[in-house]
Amino acid sequence: MLGNKCEKCQAEFFPPVNICRACKSIDLKPLEMPGAGKILSYTLQKESVAGFEEQEPMVFGLVELSNGVRLVAQIVDFPYESLKIGSKVKAVFRRVKADGPSGQIYYGYKFGPPRSPRETSATEE
Amino acid sequence: MPSILILRDNQYDPQYRNMRDVFVLGAGTTKYGKSHLSARELALEASKKALVESGIEPTDVQAGFIANAFSLSEKQGHLGPIIMSGLGIADVPASTIESACSSGASAIREAWVNIGAGIYDCMLVTGVEKVSQLDTITATTYFSFGSDYIFEGACGASFPGLYGSIARAHMSKYGTTEEQMANVSVKNHENGMLNPNAHFHKKITVDDVMNSIVVASPLKLYDACPFSDGAASAVLCSEGFMLKMNGHASEAIKIVASGRAGGTGALHQRPDLTTLNAAVLAGREAFKQAGLAPKDIDFLEVHDCFTIAELVALEDLGFYPRGEAAKATQEGQTRINGETPVNPSGGLKAKGHPVGATGVGQVVEVYEQLNSRAGHRQVKDARIALTHNVGATGGSCAVHIFEKN
Repeated sequence: MLGNKCEKCQAEFFPPVNICRACKSIDLKPLEMPGAGKILSYTLQKESVAGFEEQEPMVFGLVELSNGVRLVAQIVDFPYESLKIGSKVKAVFRRVKADGPSGQIYYGYKFGPPRSPRETSATEE
Repeated sequence: MPSILILRDNQYDPQYRNMRDVFVLGAGTTKYGKSHLSARELALEASKKALVESGIEPTDVQAGFIANAFSLSEKQGHLGPIIMSGLGIADVPASTIESACSSGASAIREAWVNIGAGIYDCMLVTGVEKVSQLDTITATTYFSFGSDYIFEGACGASFPGLYGSIARAHMSKYGTTEEQMANVSVKNHENGMLNPNAHFHKKITVDDVMNSIVVASPLKLYDACPFSDGAASAVLCSEGFMLKMNGHASEAIKIVASGRAGGTGALHQRPDLTTLNAAVLAGREAFKQAGLAPKDIDFLEVHDCFTIAELVALEDLGFYPRGEAAKATQEGQTRINGETPVNPSGGLKAKGHPVGATGVGQVVEVYEQLNSRAGHRQVKDARIALTHNVGATGGSCAVHIFEKN
C-alpha cells in the first residue's frame, strides 16, 4: 500500500495525493503505509458488486491504520461474531475478486486478524 | 501529526449578488416503480405533465437540464437533445447534470442559478432514471460507480455496505437501535400508501423490517430504498415570466433558498462517519439565505436511501440534536400529523428512488403539498417546505427551501 507523506507538515495519505490536504504543500514523497490498524465500523454484506459474488456474504470494514490514515477493505479470516469496533487488524495480500474476462488476476489488500491462523500455527509448531 | 481528515475551515460563502427571485411554475411526475418504458419515454411523460401544470407550450422553454446518472446502462448518453427533440424543441440547449443520487436537486439548483442570474426566464428541469432492465448485482454495481469506486466499490463495498457502516457507527456512538431505524421505514411506507405515484403501496410493521433479510448488517431489506424507474419534471421561471401566466401564477411556489455543498467522495476520508458534512453545509447555507430556522419549516422531504440516512439528515439539518432523531421518530414526531412531518410522499423508501428523478420528485411533492393538492397525505397548513437530496454517501448535497405566498 504505497501512499505518500507531506515533507512540510508530515501528514500521511493513502491513496497518494498531489497536494497536501492539510497544508496544501506540493512537496510530497512516496511512503509505504503501515499494515496495522483498527476497525472503525464494519458490515456483513449479502449483496456486493460484480466480481465478488462467490465471496458473499462478505465482511468489510472501515479501517484506521496506525498512522491515522483511513480506508475501506474487505475483512477476512475474522469470525464476524467476534468483530468489534476497535478490533485490531493487519493488511494481507490477497486475490481480491473474480478474474477478469481475459484471465487477469486482481490482487490487492484485505485485512485480517493481527496474527493470521497460519502464522499462529507456525509459531506453535 | 496534523489531521489528515481535515474539513475545510475556509468554506466559501456564496454571495448571490443581485439574484432575481425564482419560482416553480408547475411540476409533474410519472408513477415510480418498475416500468416498461425507456428513460426517454418516462422523461417525456413527466416533462409534458410539468408543461401542462405550468400552462405553457414547449416553445416557451428557453433552456433545460436533464438529471440522470445511469442512462449509459440503457446505451444512451446525451439525453438533453433526445428529450428536447421529443418535445419538439430540438434547438433548446439542454445538458445532463450528474451528481449521483443528488442529480435532481443539483439540476434544480443550476436552473435556479441560471434564472436568478438573468440568463433565462423559463427553464425545464427533468430528472429521469431507468434501471429495472438490470439484474440486482449489475444495478448495485452501477450504483457503486457513484462512490469512490477504485477504493470502495473495487474493494467490494456496495452502497448498502457503506450505509451499513454509517448505521453501525451511529449505533455505537449514540445508542441508536435497529428497531428505531425500522420506525423510519414503517412511517414512510404508511405515507407511501397515500401516494398514488409511489413505488410501494404496502403497510409494514417494525417486526416486518426486523425479520426481513439482512442486506448489509445492521441494515435489512426493509431499511433500504428500492431501485425504481421514473421521471419527474419542473418548470422554473423568473417573476416576470410567472406574472404573465395569469391563472397559473397563483399556483407557483417561490424558491427562497438553494444551498449546495460537497464532501469527500470516499466515506473513509471523513473524520466522523455519523454525519454528512455536505448536508450540514448545504443546510446551513439554505437556512441563512432564507433567513429561516428548522422551526419555521412545515414539512421536509429528505434523502432516506436507507433508514439511517433519514435520521442522519434530520440531525445534519439541525431539526434534532445529534443522536435524538431516532427517539423523535419512534415517538411519531415525523409522521404527517406530527410536529415535524418528514417525507409525506413516502420518501425514497416507499415512493421510490429513480436516481436522477429523486431530487426533482421532491420538488413535485412540495409543489403539490404547498398547493393543498396532496390528498390524504396533505400536511395541514403547509406553507414552507425543505428538500434535502444527497449524492452517494455525501459527496454532494443540495438543500432547497420553498415558500407559498
